[in-house]
Amino acid sequence: MTETKPKIKIRTVDLNLHYGSFHALEDITMDIEECKITAIIGPSGCGKSTLLRVFNRMNDLIPSCKTTGEILLDEKPIYGKNIDVVEHRKKVGMVFQKPNVFPMSIYENITIAPKRHGIKSRRRLDETVERSLKQVALWDEVKDDLGKSAQELPAGAQQRLCIARAVAVEPDVILMDESCSALDPESTMKIEELMFELVKKYTIIIVTHSMEQARRVSDMSAFIMLNKNLVGSLHEYGPTLDLFSKPKSTVTEDYITGRFG
Amino acid sequence: MKKTFKDKLSERIFLALALSSISALALITVFIIIQGAPIIGSVGIFNFIFGMTWAPSQGEFGIFPMIVGTLAVTLGAMVLGVPIGICSAVFLAEFAPVPVRNMFRPAIQLLAGIPSVVYGFWGLIFIVPLIRDYLGGPGLSILAGSIVLAIMILPTVISITEVSIIALPRTYKEGALALGMSHWQAIYSVQLPAAKSGIVAAVILGTGRAIGETMAVIMVLGNAPALPRSILDPVRTLTTNIGIEMGYATGDHRQALFATGIVLFILIMTLNITAQYITRKKKQK
Amino acid sequence: MRLTVLILLILSVFTLTACSSGAGNTVIVAGSTSVQPYAEVLAENYSIIFPDRAVDIQGGGSSTGIRAAQSGTADIGMSSRELTEEEQEMWNIVIAKDGLVLIVHPQNPVNGLTLEQVRRIYTGDVTNWLEVGGADRRIHVITREEGSGTRGAFEDMLMENNLITSRAIVQNTNGSVRQLVSNDIDSIGFLSLGLADQSVKALELDGVAPTWNNVMLGDYTLFRQFYFVSAEKPSDYVKLFIDFALSEEGQRLLMLEGLITDMKEAE
Repeated sequence: MTETKPKIKIRTVDLNLHYGSFHALEDITMDIEECKITAIIGPSGCGKSTLLRVFNRMNDLIPSCKTTGEILLDEKPIYGKNIDVVEHRKKVGMVFQKPNVFPMSIYENITIAPKRHGIKSRRRLDETVERSLKQVALWDEVKDDLGKSAQELPAGAQQRLCIARAVAVEPDVILMDESCSALDPESTMKIEELMFELVKKYTIIIVTHSMEQARRVSDMSAFIMLNKNLVGSLHEYGPTLDLFSKPKSTVTEDYITGRFG
Repeated sequence: MKKTFKDKLSERIFLALALSSISALALITVFIIIQGAPIIGSVGIFNFIFGMTWAPSQGEFGIFPMIVGTLAVTLGAMVLGVPIGICSAVFLAEFAPVPVRNMFRPAIQLLAGIPSVVYGFWGLIFIVPLIRDYLGGPGLSILAGSIVLAIMILPTVISITEVSIIALPRTYKEGALALGMSHWQAIYSVQLPAAKSGIVAAVILGTGRAIGETMAVIMVLGNAPALPRSILDPVRTLTTNIGIEMGYATGDHRQALFATGIVLFILIMTLNITAQYITRKKKQK
Repeated sequence: MRLTVLILLILSVFTLTACSSGAGNTVIVAGSTSVQPYAEVLAENYSIIFPDRAVDIQGGGSSTGIRAAQSGTADIGMSSRELTEEEQEMWNIVIAKDGLVLIVHPQNPVNGLTLEQVRRIYTGDVTNWLEVGGADRRIHVITREEGSGTRGAFEDMLMENNLITSRAIVQNTNGSVRQLVSNDIDSIGFLSLGLADQSVKALELDGVAPTWNNVMLGDYTLFRQFYFVSAEKPSDYVKLFIDFALSEEGQRLLMLEGLITDMKEAE
């Protein structure tokens, strides 16, 4: 590894988020490096998922939600006036907690978004399907059953299909919201292996409940917890190795060693 | 647990009530068949269903023009009503602000509660002259019937479609949006296909309502028992055939009306069973 | 209106059961909807003269009325069509005659047709008003439904065994025929002479205007007879109402309503 300064993919400065009058996130300032796995950890209800959903503007679906502060992707504001949300979401893909494959075939699950984005040629769509499925190591399993309903796949394979679906859009960033919590250990392991592959190309941000998983897969860890005003804030942020081996604060230490949360 | 006398008694009463309603249905079915079957037998099922002339006083009992009429009017109602119904449902489920939604829902329920005579009368006074003056023909026509029926099936189509969209897991919509689809794209490429079985059921139930409707269409269809040549021609449906002639019918004529009822009965049963099959398949998923 | 009819029907079912159990102080009259409005006028006046005697008038059509009289569910059946041979064995009497009239929109330039022209319009041979002296426009033919007494009368008197075209618009009440004709300048329909009003134009047939006088004189030939029928010779109680219908007062009432009443023979 060279000691060149890492490129920053996403930068937030004084990010604040309110649901109506409820203050959910306060003064979050963090830089997320490109082609790294960043884990967001913290106790339930501290706003980890909310923070993740800031990055692809999924919180826009909640009318009362208001986000302020500087939030930049490649140094360009995500919440700017002239930003096309739909275009933005193509750059920032998301994998959800439970596999949410659409009730259609495996092939259609992957091609539906590229088709909407204007890819019409059958050959290019076929290529996209093959490439995406290979990226998530699902190709060999399903290549003869592409017409099969995606809902008939086992849960682990479904979640990998969801990742393939996100990858098919060719995003820069992939957000994973506790994407292994509904899976068995074996499937979890497969997806973690996948992350190591994907991170060569994509910036990955995960939210996880599992300290073990954060420690296993992430390069950087952000510890979010409620501050004294009961608002979610960034308590500690740094390289995963440092944060887990020599946490700066005792609260972090207590959390990562499982004393609360 | 031991059942008390009261429990047993109420159980019996409910059973009796249930049985009586079922047997009423069975009796009606048997009655219609007993009344209608002989004429089908004597005319011949092929001649009855595919016969082109309906002139009971001359002993001619062909209901093919009415089968065509029923299908034409129903199809017309579907073509007009289903897209509007689905769009309204999408609007209510996805776009309407809460106050608008709260206003629309009861309004649509109200639409379902208006007696069909009122729809028919409105069609006769408003739609029929409009067609006569601007499109030609007598106004009483397939088109007039289709318009009136399209409005009558809206409540069915809208409410069932809306419910099936709302019942979808939220993650479908979120997943689609997260892939960089616009709200519209998410609706038509993910949400509507996912709600497909519900929508199909809505359409089939709407069709059932349209086929079974009598009062409203008697007033606006013109009821001519001839094969229509355009959508501006008057036409007779199976229901209106019964509705319009039952008053004076005797003998074979009366039997032929019951036989028309049998054909209608089979048509509607087929539709309802299909609808049930589709909704059940949906629930299993 | 329909609602009242419905309520009356429902009520009559109850009164009917009451009657058959012997308490009968209501005369039930059922049948032709052509006769119904006239019978109602009779009943109204009858109950003024005999306040303790009620008459209940129901529709249902000629055949239904005759059947009801046969089975005894009605005391009197009303028919606007000729009785079949079998039915003629029942007790029956003509209470009045009714002219049929062909009607068109008031603004239709055609004032009269020959019987032949009417027949050809109704068989579908003539489809344009131009062919019978009108504007160059399609004729919208309106008829009554199969089984209706009015249609039956029209077919018997005019169609000479030809079928009414199946393309004709079918309506099942006199009111809706009249309503349609009054709204559609291209239409032609037929109904009882007494029911044609200012909203439509009554056509001359073979040059004879459909007036009371012309029917009486026999010049206007399109008329039919209204019958009261009963399973057997009516009881005194029922007969009182029939007598009233045939009395000078009853016949005068029917005449005022537009019917033709030239016969006095009671049996």
